[in-house]
Parts: sequence; C-alpha cells; structure tokens
Amino acid sequence: MTTVDHTRATAGAIAPAKARAAGGRDPSVGQSYRFGYALLAVPFLLYAYFILYPLLQTIYFALTSWDGAKPVKEFVGADNFIRMLTDPLFWGAFGHTLVWVVLGTIVTMVLALGLALLVWNSPRGFLFFRTIYFMPQILPAVVVGFVWVWMYNPLFGIINRSLKSVGLGALALNWIGDPDIALYAVLAASIWAHIGLIFVIFVAALQNVDNELLDAARIDGANVWQRFIYVVIPQLSNAITLVTVLLLVNGLQGFDHVWVMTRGGPNESTQLLATYAYQKAFMENQIGYGSALSVILALIALAVSVLTVNARERAAAGQA
Amino acid sequence: MSGGLFTRQPYLSTAAARTLQYIVLILCAILFVLPFIWIWSSALKTSNEIMRDPFALPTAFRWENLVQAWTVGRFGSYIGNSMLYCATIVPAVLVLSSCAGYALGSLKIPGEKFIFPIFLLGIMVPIQAIMIPQYYQVRDLGLLGNHGGVIVPGIAVGLAFGIFLMRAFFRGLPQEIAQAARLDGASEWQVFWLVMLPMARSGLLTLGVFQFMISWNMFLIPLLYGQIEAIRPISTGIMFFFGRYSVDRGMIAAGVTLSSVPIIVVYVFFQRYFINGLTAGALK
Repeated sequence: MTTVDHTRATAGAIAPAKARAAGGRDPSVGQSYRFGYALLAVPFLLYAYFILYPLLQTIYFALTSWDGAKPVKEFVGADNFIRMLTDPLFWGAFGHTLVWVVLGTIVTMVLALGLALLVWNSPRGFLFFRTIYFMPQILPAVVVGFVWVWMYNPLFGIINRSLKSVGLGALALNWIGDPDIALYAVLAASIWAHIGLIFVIFVAALQNVDNELLDAARIDGANVWQRFIYVVIPQLSNAITLVTVLLLVNGLQGFDHVWVMTRGGPNESTQLLATYAYQKAFMENQIGYGSALSVILALIALAVSVLTVNARERAAAGQA
Repeated sequence: MSGGLFTRQPYLSTAAARTLQYIVLILCAILFVLPFIWIWSSALKTSNEIMRDPFALPTAFRWENLVQAWTVGRFGSYIGNSMLYCATIVPAVLVLSSCAGYALGSLKIPGEKFIFPIFLLGIMVPIQAIMIPQYYQVRDLGLLGNHGGVIVPGIAVGLAFGIFLMRAFFRGLPQEIAQAARLDGASEWQVFWLVMLPMARSGLLTLGVFQFMISWNMFLIPLLYGQIEAIRPISTGIMFFFGRYSVDRGMIAAGVTLSSVPIIVVYVFFQRYFINGLTAGALK
C-alpha cells in the first residue's frame, strides 16, 4: 500500500515524503485531483456568483451613492460611513441591536440551561417535553411572529386577557405598540422561538458531565449551588461557547421576527441594523447607504465569530 | 443516562421535589403549546367570537375559514410553491455539497487549504451583507419573478454550510477504502458515487433535514426575488395573506393553522431527525 499513500489521511507532511520514497508519482493521483476539481466546479461557480461576488460588490456599493436605478454609480469614498456617524437612526438601530444581542443571548442561555437541568435525570415524559419545547424551531418566523402579534393584541390577545382576569389589569400594556417596550416584546417572542434549540444542545452536553466528579463533590460537602458552579459549569464550557457564538451571530442577523411583528416601528423603536439596512436599500432605494450598513453588520458578525472562537481555543488550550 | 444536580440529594428526591419538577416542566410545555391551540381553535370561530372570549371553545365548528383560506386565500398555491422549492433546493444542495465536500475532504485537492476558508466565509457572513448586490445578480440572469429566482439563490446560500458539513463527513471516512476500490479498477466516479457517498449517509440525512427546514422557512430570499403572487411560498405568502385579511380574524387564524399544522405533524413523526439535523446545523 505504500505507493497509494497519497490519500494524505492525516499528516500532510509525511504522505508526500512516503510517496517520493516509494518511487515517485502515482498516475492515479493526478486523475483523482482532476476529478476533484471537476466536482468542485459547479458548486464553486454558483457560490462565487451568488455569494462571493455580491460580498465584494457590497463593499463597492458602500463607497458609492447609487440609488439602484442610475446607470452610473458615483464614487463617494467613505461618505456613507461618515454619514452613519451623524445618523441618529443608525445609532438607534445599533443600540437596539446591542440590546437585542446581549439580552437575547443571556436570557435564552439561562432559561435553556435551567430547563435542561430540570430534565437532566431523564424524567418520565422527557421525549414529550423535548418535542414540545423544540416545536417553534420548525415553524416559519412569519407564523411565530403572527402568533405573537395576536398574543400581544391589547383587545383580544390572551396575554392581556389573562392579566386582566387575575386582577393585573395595570400590567396589560400595549406591548408592541408602545415604543418604550416594543423592542423587549419582540425580543421575548424571538427568545421563545429559539429556546428549544439551545435547550437540546445543553441536554446533550449535560449527558457528558462526569457523574463521579459530582458525587465526589457531594461527598466533600459541596451544596447544590457549589456543585453547579464548580463542577457542572466548567464541564459545559464548550457547549456554552458554542451556544454563545450561535446566539450572538443569530441575534445580529435578527430580521424575520422584527419585520413580521413591527417592521422596525413604532417610531423606529425596534429598528435593528439588519432591518434598517433592508429598509434603506430596498424601501428607500439608497443602495449605497444600505450597503454601507450591511458592511458594518458583516464586520461585526465576523469580529464576533472570530473573537469567540479564539476565546474558545484559548480556553481549550488552557484545559489541555 | 442517570445524572442530575438534584436527584441524588435526599431532601430533593422526595415526592415534593418531583412534583415541583413536573409542575415547572408542564407549565413550560403549556407556554409553548397554548398559543397554537388558541389560534387553531380560533380558526373555527367567527371574528366576533374571537373578540368576545379568547378562551372559549368554538360554538359551531366553522370549517369554512380553512376552506376559504386554502382556495380564495391561495394557500394551496403557497404550499405547492413551498413544496416545489424544497423538492428542488434540497436535492441540489445535497448533490453539490457532496461533490465539493468529497473533493475537499476526501480527495484533498491541492489548494484545499485556500479554497475551504472561502466557503467558510459564507457561513460567517450574514445574508443581509450580500443581499443588495445579489438582487442585481439574480435580476441580470433574468430570474426575477420566476421560480428559478428563488431556487437558484436558495441553493447557493445553502452551499456554504452544506459543503462545510459534508467535508467534515468525508474527512472522517477511512480513505483506504477508496484506494482499495481504485486498485480494483473502479473509476473515480464509481469510487465517489458507489463507495464513498453511501458511507456518508448519516451526513446526508442530517444535511437533508436541515436544508429542508431552511428551505421551507426561508423568508428573505422569496421576499426579495419572489415578489409575484404566483411564485410565493408559504413563508412570504402568509404575510401578504395576513395583510389582505387583516380585519378577518377567523381567516388569519385559518392561515396560521394551515401553515403550522402540516409541518408539525411531519415533525412529530420524525422529531428525532429534525432535532438531530437542526442541532447539527446550529453547531456548525
């Protein structure tokens, strides 16, 4: 089998050396490479045309004042980015996105982990509960959004009806109609929709927690809280990093629920970066400015991914 | 499977603690299910009934709402389009991702180290960052306003993750088997299609379920490129449906019902695959 070691299964440095030692080139290598490039051609072209090229174009559009119709795209340099600095709506959307991402990540994580801990001992009916908690994941965001629009309806929504029926009529607010609370109301719907997925990830991670360590900690006199903080959490660190990246990146892309429930209103109070970019580009034909907003959004998403993955690698290196 | 923070604790493994555990679990279940039950039952009511008492059961089961939503409300057409999109996008993403994943993960063509990160970029960049020029790309191909305008970008957007997943699967396969098949005289195509691809079955299943959910629920792509009534899938169609019938609450509830019940039935039967597929997809 020495002549066919070009599979380079693991160590890339060793395999070519072996092949050379075995007496030079294997004719089938070139053949499989050619086949490989042929296989890659169609997916790569599709990807290049619809993803890669538009990504570069976004950067180019961001440097123009194009309105989507004019034949000439006037180059304006960094004007769009400078305009952002003095655009109160941009800073509003930026702030809302920050609240959306940070609050959404923390609340989703805490609630999902709490639920996962509750089913850790695999209680009877576990599959039933898991099926139900996960259910919102499979529904279109439009449906979830509309269900919540109804729930929040001040006239016939079940939230306000329930509050009134238990004497808490004072809490029966105009949930998505009031600029002060609309962002949180929409975020609550989004959290409700995402909890099941995070719950399932934590349930899987909890199965790998070392029970003997837990028992040892208990014998040493650690109470429930101490066992949770010092024994369980460190063993979940991988899952927690993964979930953090997932929630942060998903949060930055938050679009569907907002678009369906409030379209950024009332009074721009639920405008996120993603919805603001869409609105500028496609509703107001400010392709240049919308693209600049998209670039900022992409940069934040990339930075968050890279930073979190780096943090994770450092943590992993620390463990090793 | 046994584990737990609390259960081995004598004072917490009492009947009282168990009861408390179940109360919380059941309350949460209600929180997830009640909104749907409320709206499904509303689909069988008149607008007035919905206003009067949201918790009341429908007095007379008015199936007309559902029938009307299906026909006049064009739900039949929306669901047909959604099925068409899934039936084209999912197989295409599976085939193309397998091809690229095999080339990168199993054949490890030269330049793989340079090509793969380019695909990774597509996972990390939000679609909002490419949607504006992508719109013009789709337009220039003459795809705006026909089914292809949703299908082709739908495939392209699915590729980044699909290739990422399939590459990982092909990397994990024993490459010696491919070599053995080559020595036995199998062509490169036979090695790929008959030997290696069947071994990546579980990866294909995971990706298939994940891509199905993505395609069924995709929102931005049909919102941008499928703006003609006749090609709208359920995700955007229902939004326009809601706009059209904004005063007819019975119809809106019927719309929510028609767009959620079928997929939930499929989900309940195949929930293990859904949960595995979506979790694997999320953990990219």
